[in-house]
Amino acid sequence: MKGERKDPRKELGAAVSALAEQDPRIVILSADSGGSSGFSAFAGAHPERYFEFGIMEQGVTGIAAGLATTGKIPVFCAIAPFVTCRSYEMFRNDLGYMRQNVKIIGRNGGITYSDLGATHHSLEDYAIMRMIPGAVVLSPQSPAEIRAAAKAMLAHEGPVYMRIGNPPMPEIYDEEPDFTIGKGTVLRPGTDLAILSTGSATADALEAAELLDAKGISVRVVGFPTVCPIDEELVIQTAREVGKLLTVEEHYAHGGLGTLVAEVCAEHCPVPIRMHGIPKEYATSGPYDDLKAYYRIDAPGIAQVAQEFLNK
Amino acid sequence: MNGKDLKRLELEAARCRRNVVRMVEASGHGHLGGALSSMDIVTALYFYKMHCDPKNPGLEDRDRFLLSAGHKCMVQYAVLAEKGYFDKSVLDTYGGLKTLLPGHPDMHKLPGVEANTGALGHGLSLAAGMALGLRLDGKKSQVYAVMGDGELAEGSNWEAAAAAAHHHLDNLTVFVDFNGLQISGKVQDVMNFTPIGDHFAAFGWAVKDIDGNNMSQVVEALDALPLTPGKPNLIVAHTVKSKGLSFAENKAAYHYWTPKDEELSQAIQETETAIARLEQEWKEMAQ
Repeated sequence: MKGERKDPRKELGAAVSALAEQDPRIVILSADSGGSSGFSAFAGAHPERYFEFGIMEQGVTGIAAGLATTGKIPVFCAIAPFVTCRSYEMFRNDLGYMRQNVKIIGRNGGITYSDLGATHHSLEDYAIMRMIPGAVVLSPQSPAEIRAAAKAMLAHEGPVYMRIGNPPMPEIYDEEPDFTIGKGTVLRPGTDLAILSTGSATADALEAAELLDAKGISVRVVGFPTVCPIDEELVIQTAREVGKLLTVEEHYAHGGLGTLVAEVCAEHCPVPIRMHGIPKEYATSGPYDDLKAYYRIDAPGIAQVAQEFLNK
Repeated sequence: MNGKDLKRLELEAARCRRNVVRMVEASGHGHLGGALSSMDIVTALYFYKMHCDPKNPGLEDRDRFLLSAGHKCMVQYAVLAEKGYFDKSVLDTYGGLKTLLPGHPDMHKLPGVEANTGALGHGLSLAAGMALGLRLDGKKSQVYAVMGDGELAEGSNWEAAAAAAHHHLDNLTVFVDFNGLQISGKVQDVMNFTPIGDHFAAFGWAVKDIDGNNMSQVVEALDALPLTPGKPNLIVAHTVKSKGLSFAENKAAYHYWTPKDEELSQAIQETETAIARLEQEWKEMAQ
């Protein structure tokens, strides 16, 4: 139901587990992370396809690749920075270069591990994972879209990185959306400004659009649950029709969605772009909502940034 | 194994050593030392132990071989060529533009290669994952890997070592090519992991030390697998770097070889002499 908040980890775990019930090729790997990734029930029901390794993200990523060479579809979910930054070379070589059908989910992504500090934030995952040839980078924007993305991820042949968060996430759809890897969607019509967003930022972008609407500003919101490959066609269409783009993401302002959008526009349809996200610093810590407000990636903050951009 | 069959394996290894020299001759350089030190192990695996088919490299129930120390790739290329996975003329493209034989192996280029190794410390995790997957399918297939001794300093190996023991992967056998030398000098001086077997035994592996350039001992170790049911197998293969080339043996400088003309001539002559001698001995035994 639209507006209802759900735990993204449980949505992911339940969705993947349901698919694994139907497909014996799917195996779940844990780096002391399976329970908190929503896989406790699956571990109990299918111990033969649930493997615990302890806290060794590099090892698990390589083992996942080895399993995939035998026809398995390994799914490995753990804390986002540890399955991206720490094991980057394993993803690059063992999954990317070897083209293995492994699904890596970085949970508690962005600044959702807010008060635990910068070691546990992941603000460069889109940026680094998108550079791996053949890797798909997903960042679903609501509980229903996490379920849809899980299906698309497992149907896709090849390495996928999906980022999800941790705090209960509001639903933005009336029903489970169609999910095609590489495709974005116009979530709200508008003509003065387009906000292009991904992941957790999209719900806030939609709310910011409401705030701006009350001030007579018409904002189009375009959601990109696939960060890479970016939906070039939709970026170009949005740039041509609206002419002014604000990108918003729970990620460094540069290197992720904003950079991908800017690359497309620079080549095909240069328009003014404001890239909004976390500045390149080790983000400070604190309660999640406070942090979002501090970095102006909550709805009022996004609305404020949008107005500054429009007034420039 | 009888003496004649053992001699035959030694002869295959000698032919493969000549293949290595042929690749260096073509490209002008290559990681020589480790390719030659591990040659007897890899030859025994492909020509004696492994269930594999050069005409069907993707054979479903094949045994798997991984070269964790991917820079030793010439050993695998030499053996795959000798085994008939590809035409030997391909050896002459080693290191060339868009070759099937890059300086570290690529599974999508060369049939018979199972993994894209080269960055050290990846092979053991990959091999453990393969062993786990094959066991999950109830297959009898075995996974064999060759690691370098200098490679042991990569911490990711020890993650995989723990995982393989924890999950009782006794269908996994790893040879450490302990030639004792890496680029900067003696392995023990650079980062000491000796006794290597004790390290792995502490992680829960079954361990055996052998002379890795003694074909009889290599075969005997392969016949003894699994060393202990329920445990992954670690063979510490004491080898000689650049084994088979008198001027290069046991010298760290030949880790990577850019030969001068006279060295190349000597290498060709020494490897061909070894082949001729072993062919003669084998024929005599066959009579």
